[in-house]
Amino acid sequence: MEGHTQFVSLDWTLIFQWGNLLILYLIIKKFLFGPIQKMLSDRENEVKSMYDSAEKAEKDAISMKEEYTAHLAGAKDEANEILKNANQRATLKTEEMLREAQVKANGIVAKAGEEIELEKKRAFAQVKGEISDLALMAASKVVERELSSEEHERLMDQFIDSVGDAPWQK
Amino acid sequence: MDGPKIMFTIPLFGGIAVTETVTNSWLLIVVVFILCKFLTSNLQKIPKGKQVLAEKYVTMITGLVKETMGEKKLHYAPYIGTLMIFSALGSLMSLTGLRPVTGDLNTTVAWAVVTFVLIQMTKIKANGFLGYLKSFADPFPVMLPINIVSELATPVSLSFRHFGNIAAGTVITSLLYTALAALTNIVFRGFMPVPIFQLGIPAVLSIYFDLFTGFMQAFIFSMLTMAFISNAAE
Repeated sequence: MEGHTQFVSLDWTLIFQWGNLLILYLIIKKFLFGPIQKMLSDRENEVKSMYDSAEKAEKDAISMKEEYTAHLAGAKDEANEILKNANQRATLKTEEMLREAQVKANGIVAKAGEEIELEKKRAFAQVKGEISDLALMAASKVVERELSSEEHERLMDQFIDSVGDAPWQK
Repeated sequence: MDGPKIMFTIPLFGGIAVTETVTNSWLLIVVVFILCKFLTSNLQKIPKGKQVLAEKYVTMITGLVKETMGEKKLHYAPYIGTLMIFSALGSLMSLTGLRPVTGDLNTTVAWAVVTFVLIQMTKIKANGFLGYLKSFADPFPVMLPINIVSELATPVSLSFRHFGNIAAGTVITSLLYTALAALTNIVFRGFMPVPIFQLGIPAVLSIYFDLFTGFMQAFIFSMLTMAFISNAAE
């Protein structure tokens, strides 16, 4: 049945157009809005999670940096402390050594003095003995006379005393 | 001017005439289906080419719905998107020489009735059934007939506006073609078998009657549907 409907009329087409609208709606919803909206929300979530992880990484980096800075400062302090201690110890040691050396040197000097004194005394005693012998010999020659032993001794001591320490030592 | 051509008749209820409008709508549905499948095939996280187009359309409609109806009514977005595509492509198909499906009152009435039903349902949902009935007697019971008429005027004005614009474009275009054929005859005194003036000149008017009006009416119909439904919720 060919022909045309009225230009302005309501007929079965109205029902068909409802059906067509419904079909098109289902197609658009299922094949356009569905996948696209899912993709958009997926992308949004991904971007969000990326931002979140980036933020977290930044926070971690900052806290690590702070930690390292603190560590570094601690290490510096520690090094300074060690250096100071070493310096102190070295100073103490040096002073002690100097003191010891001083003491030792003083000991040596004192000992040397004593030895010198001793040697001097010994030499003096020897000289004394020789002089007394010499004097005895000279006296016997001069006097030509044998003296008794006691007299001899007395004379000798007298002589030595008269010779004395003082004039010889000067 | 004739109405839509009857393509075939289903022998039921004394003959259901299937017109050009219906078959053209089917064609449109097939095209949109293929387009949807093509645009959304192989979706990527990083959009490229055709996917940008599909995303642009969806985000545009979603943004429009969010702006005019609010976050709570975002589930209307696919329906508004459907109206927009159906209306725009239904009008623009006149560019290919097919009869625009929106140039048939049946089409626009079908859509307007859906909008009308959605409005009433939203009102009932917002105010309760009694509140909904009472709203017809606002602010005075005397206003009852006026309120009913204004309620019914919504789908009538919606459907006739859209139908009128597109049908008028079709009528004017056919008038223009006839006039240009007559003009060719007058100028060339019948020695020109080809209506030469029909070449080019209708295209200029077609920019307004087909392109501009087609998009404009699609936009107006969708915007009004959104505005009416969101108003009904208040």
